[in-house]
Amino acid sequence: MAWLETIVNGLLVGSLYALFGLGAALTFGVAKIVNVAHGEFIVLSGFIGIMLVGIIPIHPLLLVPLVIVIVFAIGFILQMTLLNRVVGKDPIPPMLLTFGLSIVLKNAMVEVFGATPRSINMGGLRFKGMEVFGMTLGVLPVIIFVISVSLFVALHFFLKYTRVGRTLRATGDEAQFVQLFGVNYRRAFGVATALALSMSAAAGMMLAMRSTITPFTGGDRLLIAFEVVIIGGLGSMWGALIGGLILGVTHLVGLRIDPNSGLLYPDIVFFIILTIMPRGISGWRQ
Amino acid sequence: MTPLLETSDLQTFYGDFQALFGLDFSIAEGETVAMIGANGAGKSTFLRSIAGLNTQKKGTIRFAGEDITRLRADLISRRGIALVPEGRVMFPSLTVEENLLMGLGTDRAGAWTLKKVYELFPALTSIRHSSSVRISGGQQQMVAIGRALLTNPRLLLCDEISLGLAPKITNDIYACFSEIKASGTAIMLVEQDIVRACQAADRFYCLLEGRISLTGRPADFGIEVISRSYFGTGDHHGLA
Amino acid sequence: MAAVTTMLSRSPGRHHLLLMPAVLLVLALCAVAAPFVVGEGLLRLSSEILLIFAMAQMWNLLSGYAGLLSIGHQVFVGAGAYGMFALSIHAGVNPYVAIAFAPFVSGLLAALVAPILFRLRDAYFTIGMWVFSEIVTILVGKSNWLGGQNGLTLSALRDMDPDWISPISFWWAAFAAIGSLVLLAGLMRSRLGLALLAVRDNDVAASSLGIDVWRSRFIAFVISAAGTGLCGAIYFLGPAHILPAAGFDPNWVVIMLFICVVGGLGTIEGPIVGTIVYFGLRQAFATSGNWYLILMGSVAVVVMLVARKGLWGTLHARYGISLIPIRREPPSDKTFGI
Repeated sequence: MAWLETIVNGLLVGSLYALFGLGAALTFGVAKIVNVAHGEFIVLSGFIGIMLVGIIPIHPLLLVPLVIVIVFAIGFILQMTLLNRVVGKDPIPPMLLTFGLSIVLKNAMVEVFGATPRSINMGGLRFKGMEVFGMTLGVLPVIIFVISVSLFVALHFFLKYTRVGRTLRATGDEAQFVQLFGVNYRRAFGVATALALSMSAAAGMMLAMRSTITPFTGGDRLLIAFEVVIIGGLGSMWGALIGGLILGVTHLVGLRIDPNSGLLYPDIVFFIILTIMPRGISGWRQ
Repeated sequence: MTPLLETSDLQTFYGDFQALFGLDFSIAEGETVAMIGANGAGKSTFLRSIAGLNTQKKGTIRFAGEDITRLRADLISRRGIALVPEGRVMFPSLTVEENLLMGLGTDRAGAWTLKKVYELFPALTSIRHSSSVRISGGQQQMVAIGRALLTNPRLLLCDEISLGLAPKITNDIYACFSEIKASGTAIMLVEQDIVRACQAADRFYCLLEGRISLTGRPADFGIEVISRSYFGTGDHHGLA
Repeated sequence: MAAVTTMLSRSPGRHHLLLMPAVLLVLALCAVAAPFVVGEGLLRLSSEILLIFAMAQMWNLLSGYAGLLSIGHQVFVGAGAYGMFALSIHAGVNPYVAIAFAPFVSGLLAALVAPILFRLRDAYFTIGMWVFSEIVTILVGKSNWLGGQNGLTLSALRDMDPDWISPISFWWAAFAAIGSLVLLAGLMRSRLGLALLAVRDNDVAASSLGIDVWRSRFIAFVISAAGTGLCGAIYFLGPAHILPAAGFDPNWVVIMLFICVVGGLGTIEGPIVGTIVYFGLRQAFATSGNWYLILMGSVAVVVMLVARKGLWGTLHARYGISLIPIRREPPSDKTFGI
């Protein structure tokens, strides 16, 4: 039973990992950008959340949409003013630009927020547990799981059934040719990055609710995000969800076997999966 | 009367390589013009230059009186120029119908609706929810044309529609052009197949190594003269 | 000055066959003499500059020339250093000599993991490399033989004359720096170098020309890892102590990347410029804490926006300047008569 509990908890934390990866998958899928600053945006969103919680006296969970909107705007501006100037056939310039950006963001956050671990005060909710089929699960992780999966479903419906979603998918396929249909692909890139960062905004907020963050947390989250997208297959949304859940379970099971192993087991699973399927889970199908 | 589209001294480059050498071209409202030429003559480059996909260019392109030489491709499509690109270019993540719906992105009002496209190409009705890359080449070509028509263009640019298709299917597709012409749209056909191009067009241009080598009405020249111009074996070369 | 270098670079290669060794000889002589002239502090800084330069050059070889962007190169810094420490501690090898074996340790590590990593392409490789370095870091941290989280101390160094540590480090560093230049210049004039460029620009086309893509990349990868490992070993000679968090610090690759990006990826001179910019910024703003890092990141962003090929790469593209000519000029080159 204890093992089952570990696995279920792994799925719960895995949903958050999946959300880390979702943004990375979206930026790569549409704009073909490997965003090295993705982890910093996750943490930045967490800090924005922490700040807003101090100012606006409503429940932190209700602030998630507000942070999403703020970070959406940041993402759109980032793509339109900086990234669009370096996108092209060569994938390396945008990657290097976001690399510089990640250094700037990380150290700017140290200046502004300091290096001590902070978190969003969730009151009693943080340590509240509940019994499910004889297992004891945290209420907050379950809420986070529900929100994460809902965001996946929402994004799925958005991409599948709206005109903007259709345009984004087409842009990911053939950025040059969407222009023939009145689409400014640079703006589509902007929307994609904005959406991607909003997903990380939600993830960052919830990370700050579950545990603590520092400006240096971004590096590890980026690694998780990258592992998630790559296990899933770059650019694949459902691949990211599966990848996140696999990593979450491996992480917690690994920590149970060896409490000092850190991300060792997810890293090894990542390697094994890629050795079998060099293009990730979704690449495997094709 | 001013032509619908007019290029003067159009030159297009790929980096240091020049593909077009000063093309003067015009097409009137409702007219059908063929551009014929061998592989690598610059036909596709010409269409891509008009549509704004090639940005390295000199000279001028005027559309309905407006200079569109430097206009962004998405704005050109919103002005009413549609391109059926070479190789059809499906959006693989989109179904057949979603590919067609992309055509509505230009927000242009006009006669063409999704329903009318399905009437024009009934074969698409039954596969509307299929993946756009799992259908036949002929069906893809219909999707590509339908998608372009849904932008309700004033000028339709068609790049090598017959390429890689069985003759019967090409015939079926060409048969639709009378209907498209009837809607008032000017059509520009790029073809390697001279006979077919001359049958469909009011006028033709022959393109040879990035330059126009012959132009006029098909009836005034006959297939043989046009062919010679096509292969660059005109009289002035002393070959025939 | 610019005109002179332009001329130099454009004149056919024969002059350089004489010029290059002459320049290198002078550099080597300077390096030999430096410890007797320069003070302790400056000597250490110089060693660091030379090592960082050599590492950047090794990263450049893999990412700029072979087209394999690695964000896990810190694994080879740590592997080389740990290899040297382990040889000295567990096998009793003189640390100064053990340095010479460091490249074999990191090179071997690269050779072993290449069959897995090379299955991954582009971004997949880049990130796979990072994950690999994370795995090694954690495993080293869990290995008692390698000192676990407490790291290793080079106790053998205590019995040696402390006055010689800095000079010997410096000489090794100078060897690594000059060696990296010679290696890269030589490599790029070789068949392998041409093969690498072909593979980087279009691996499908390269393989259709009969180039063994896998083998070319493999050699570049192993050389790059070996060189990086050598630098790592030399670097940790000074502190005589190593921790997993220091040896496998991701900042190593951040510095290499910064230097190459700012200077110009895929040019031999780029890392020289990048190293100057990096240490210039560091020395000028080191006291301002994080602001110097913020500045460094901003420089990288600005360079990407205005000079995508890096400072040197942009100059080279615009004016054709090069200090160390590695391109073989076509035989019909008319600049012969300038």
